[in-house]
Amino acid sequence: MAGLVPPGTTVKPDASTAKPKEEEKVDYMNLPCPIPYEEIHREALMSLKPELFEGLRFDFTKGLNQKFSLSHSVIMGPTEIPSQSTETIKIPTAHYEFGANYIDPKLMLIGRVLTDGRLNARVKCDLSDNLSLKANAQLTNEPHMSHGMINFDYKSAPGLTYPPPPPPPPKHKMQGKDYRTQFQFGNGALFGASYIQNVSPHLSLGGEVFWAGQHRKSGIGYAARYENDKMVATGQVASTGMVALSYVQKLSEKVSLATDLMYNYMSRDVTSSVGYDYILRQCRLRGKIDSNGCAAAYLEERLNMGLNFILSAEIDHRKKDYKFGFGLTVG
Amino acid sequence: MSSGQGKKRLTNNSGEVGFLAKVTRRVSDTPIVAYTKQKASDAAYVSHKLLKSTGKAAWIAGTTFLILVVPLIIEMDREQQFNELEMQQQSLLGAPPLAPAQK
Repeated sequence: MAGLVPPGTTVKPDASTAKPKEEEKVDYMNLPCPIPYEEIHREALMSLKPELFEGLRFDFTKGLNQKFSLSHSVIMGPTEIPSQSTETIKIPTAHYEFGANYIDPKLMLIGRVLTDGRLNARVKCDLSDNLSLKANAQLTNEPHMSHGMINFDYKSAPGLTYPPPPPPPPKHKMQGKDYRTQFQFGNGALFGASYIQNVSPHLSLGGEVFWAGQHRKSGIGYAARYENDKMVATGQVASTGMVALSYVQKLSEKVSLATDLMYNYMSRDVTSSVGYDYILRQCRLRGKIDSNGCAAAYLEERLNMGLNFILSAEIDHRKKDYKFGFGLTVG
Repeated sequence: MSSGQGKKRLTNNSGEVGFLAKVTRRVSDTPIVAYTKQKASDAAYVSHKLLKSTGKAAWIAGTTFLILVVPLIIEMDREQQFNELEMQQQSLLGAPPLAPAQK
């Protein structure tokens, strides 16, 4: 979680002597690469949106060699069916999922097949040090539910100098190290582009545009993210009317508290939630409560090396919807 | 309720109206009794509602506590026990107690 905390910069003197100036320059030229635009709420989502489930889950992953592994999972329990009425309708289902993973630092291939005919495939491939390709496809036997998406993610690898621009001013040699840009193509004529840039060691700003040709919709969005080693605050607005704010406070290495606020200007609904995230030696416990009266907790207990026990609980007081699940992860 | 029953009995043997019945009727017909009865039923209704909503709030608070706080307490306790055990082991082995730093 704390993987991308930028190293705290120590001195930013404003004296006009030569040495401190140079330090400042180095400071601003060596900004760390920001995190991708779509992962801007990552820390808050980690704490506030665990993968809650209902029923039983059993996951087994067997590594055949260093890079290749097979996964088997069994999912049993009630699944909600989307319906017009306010009451949720649940039918019991059971699925078996078979997956194959190939993970290499340069290339990642992940495939999943469910017994009901759904197929999910993901590819992440580093074409060069700066350009990486991500593709995601989902095939189902229901019509119009299959979709695919391709992302091109361009970032500059830290520590690499660029081929200098035509008039090469020496101080701009390293420019382009502190931004990340992404182009997205999906079926249904979906196009998107996003750009995020670190403007100071702690603050990054970004924007996106997207166009969904099938629904004749387009939009633009902006985001800002401030992080230091104690807290992360993000804000995002989009022309669809969505406003999302989140704040994560890291109390210690093991404990973090998170809160978020979602506001939709078009439908005028607001939800906010507060949660905690405890990472202890034997377990990880996440709990949250939101303004709709929905409390949830997710406990991952490490029983043994490679054997995890999962408990998931969700109580929605307003809808009188209670979801409890347990699971086992092996391997 | 009681006045209705009284009336019914009175109509049953309507011929002779006793002294006691006369007194009761006169008392129960006074506005103060009606007022008190009204207030009493109001109070009963309100207290019933209050009790019900308090119960509901207590239920919600209790279940939420059970979901969010009880696992946390149990896990913190386990963690502490684990730490103590490690401290003990380290002191038995004679190594300097480094546990707080590792925590």
